Amino acid sequence: MTTTFISLLTPLSRRRGVVGCVVADAHDGIVVEAVVRQGVNANTVAALAASLYGGAVQSARAAGMGEVGFLRLEAERGHVFAIGSGELVLVVIADVSVNVGQLRVDMLKSRENLA
Amino acid sequence: MTVAVAEAWVEEPLRRFVDDARVVFALLVHPSGQVMGQHGFTRAVDVMSACALAAAINASAGALGRELEARPFKELYHAGLERQIFLAEAVTVNGACVLITAFGRETSLGLVRLYFQEFRQALAAAAPSAGKAGPVLAADFERELDRSMAVLFGRARPRDLTPV
Repeated sequence: MTTTFISLLTPLSRRRGVVGCVVADAHDGIVVEAVVRQGVNANTVAALAASLYGGAVQSARAAGMGEVGFLRLEAERGHVFAIGSGELVLVVIADVSVNVGQLRVDMLKSRENLA
Repeated sequence: MTVAVAEAWVEEPLRRFVDDARVVFALLVHPSGQVMGQHGFTRAVDVMSACALAAAINASAGALGRELEARPFKELYHAGLERQIFLAEAVTVNGACVLITAFGRETSLGLVRLYFQEFRQALAAAAPSAGKAGPVLAADFERELDRSMAVLFGRARPRDLTPV
């Protein structure tokens, strides 16, 4: 079964360097929809990234910085990006070849379709 | 995190699960209701009640799954206002064990499920050979339950079944 989010995830997943895109429940960390390359475990990505995003939201609020707009984690061999809207969080996993600026714009546009 | 175990081989997998998944309560039981390890309980009577309920829930869910899908359900999840419970089976060479765990807002269902997968693998790897931990006979059940409770609450030592 596919959801309406597949039309949101498919263009993102075709960007250079993107290895997986997941829409997950922000509180439960459960996959709502996912488009991932073979070898990427969408359940693991959803659980850990939703937890990471939740931690970022709490940290930003605790520091008096307001709501989280866009989360980017830069690691040795790639990036994790996340944006939230309501009960959902959109997570993108990418390797180092990704165009970060372009992907950020795409994800921010996608946020309108998340809610 | 503190875990108490009646079987020494379950301690490390259970401790790691509790640490990683940040759950409030965790209880590992034999499907018969015999306790193998626990985290978060302070009274023996609560452990005994939870063991009996977990075994009953597991048996009911298994029967319902077999009725509807011709096989038992793999996992059971129930959300409350403040706390949630997750129940699933972990299979070892000695048979199935049931893990029931309660968690709050410090973690999520996704994380609990993720770390349960790791727990299941770790438990299977740590399990002693099939001959060393035989099933508890009905005639011995009460004595074994008493022994397990004594171990969990510090009145006896865990049974060590690790290979020598």
